[in-house]
Amino acid sequence: MKTGIQSWLDERLGFSNILGFLKEKTVPQHKHSIWYYTGSAILLFFTIQVITGFMLVFYYNPTLDGANESVARIMTEIPLGWIIRSVHSWAASFMIAFVFIHLLSTWLSKSYRNPRELTWMSGVFLLAVSLGFGFTGYLLPWDDLSLSATKVGTDIPSSIPLVGVWVTKLLRGGEDVTGDTLTRFFGFHVSILPVFIFILLGVHIYLIQKLGMSLPLAAEGKKEKVREIPFWPNFVFREMVVWLLLLGILFSLAIFFPPSLDKAADLMAAAPEGIKPEWYFLFLFQTLKIFPAKILFLNGDTLAVFLMLLAGILFFFLPIMDNKPTERKGRIITIIALVVIAYAVVMTIWSLL
Amino acid sequence: MKLKHSLFTRRQFLNGLLGGWLGALLASFLYPVIKFVFPPTREPDQVILAFADFRDMKPNSVKNFLWGTKPGILKKQDDGSYLAFVGVCTHLDCNVSYLADQRKFFCACHDGWYDENGRNIGGPPPKPLRRLVISIEGEDLIIKREGEERVEDQ
Ligand code: FES
Repeated sequence: MKTGIQSWLDERLGFSNILGFLKEKTVPQHKHSIWYYTGSAILLFFTIQVITGFMLVFYYNPTLDGANESVARIMTEIPLGWIIRSVHSWAASFMIAFVFIHLLSTWLSKSYRNPRELTWMSGVFLLAVSLGFGFTGYLLPWDDLSLSATKVGTDIPSSIPLVGVWVTKLLRGGEDVTGDTLTRFFGFHVSILPVFIFILLGVHIYLIQKLGMSLPLAAEGKKEKVREIPFWPNFVFREMVVWLLLLGILFSLAIFFPPSLDKAADLMAAAPEGIKPEWYFLFLFQTLKIFPAKILFLNGDTLAVFLMLLAGILFFFLPIMDNKPTERKGRIITIIALVVIAYAVVMTIWSLL
Repeated sequence: MKLKHSLFTRRQFLNGLLGGWLGALLASFLYPVIKFVFPPTREPDQVILAFADFRDMKPNSVKNFLWGTKPGILKKQDDGSYLAFVGVCTHLDCNVSYLADQRKFFCACHDGWYDENGRNIGGPPPKPLRRLVISIEGEDLIIKREGEERVEDQ
């Protein structure tokens, strides 16, 4: 039964199409369907980031003199401020972690193959934007650790000949990391990256609806019927159970392990010992550390950066390179994925030793 | 001489004209945007410090000064002369520190090492620390950008 207002709105907005689509939508059920839940987990953490981000921005002050102090104020003075910051910081880690899991599940199950190439590519962009959020957000508390991490991170592009220095300048707002960098990073974090992530999320989700969810390799080729459950309400209710579980873990961690805040960064002070980026950059950090100063006639870091760029490009074009029919297993791709995972894990552990 | 056939049609000509015009318009919008996002360079040509602040330094010790937006390091040698460096690592730009007991500069970011003259001797740094030129004129300590003189690369 539609009320008057509902049909009035529907005539103008046509939302019954969308509702109809959601009512019809089904989700395949099989022994790998647990991976389908990672997407909505990412959305959950993203929503938390948006909400806690709105709250933090009420008190945060993106200037050289004010940044560290304003974060300290959030942590000590503002009622429940420490929980809000802690949740923002933990949910960021969770979001990135789930982005990685989501991506690896796609990679290992080869779901990016025809026709879902663009879904994968928009996903790679989403990964980049998510990492951008993490990287820019790390600087905002403006303590010694975050300053050194930003100096290194923004200097990496400058190893690329010709264009590199300009990229570094663009990121830093000048030759060096200064108060301008802080203000710029704040701008990236709260206005530029959000625009990109919303557009990309829109494209990504649209493509998933248009092209459908992928099935495990074994089932995809065969014509036999895979069990399906309705998206609404069955699947959504299951997702909600997962969300509640994740929220419980998130809040527990946030309450018992709030992030630290060191004294304000001093632009002229020597880098403190034991500087580390966020955990999801550790494998890159360790890679830079072990590259020697010179390899043949090249600077070690230039070579490292080129290798990273190349890896990124190959990664982006994975669906174009691996365009086998969907029912093929793709062992080599699986092995490459496992090698990449092993490399990242080993490097991360090494950097923590 | 008159060509029998024109080399392109009127349509192509107009499209080219329109496209070129749109491109030029776009470029004229992009130019100020790009100009705006890159602020002017702030590296100074020279800084003038009061020599009095540095006269009492012990041999084999360092003192910081401001080199534009970078830390500068003034080091007193054993023979009483001075060396000046830009105190940022040539690897990926972290600020270095001087470890007097080991007579080495150290970068904590990726374990980079330089000897007491700023030569890169260990870890990832690809080049020696940047040297600056010092001159003392009366009460002024004048530090200038280096000319051609640089510590030899390892
Ligand atoms: S920045 Fe100094 S060793 Fe990497």
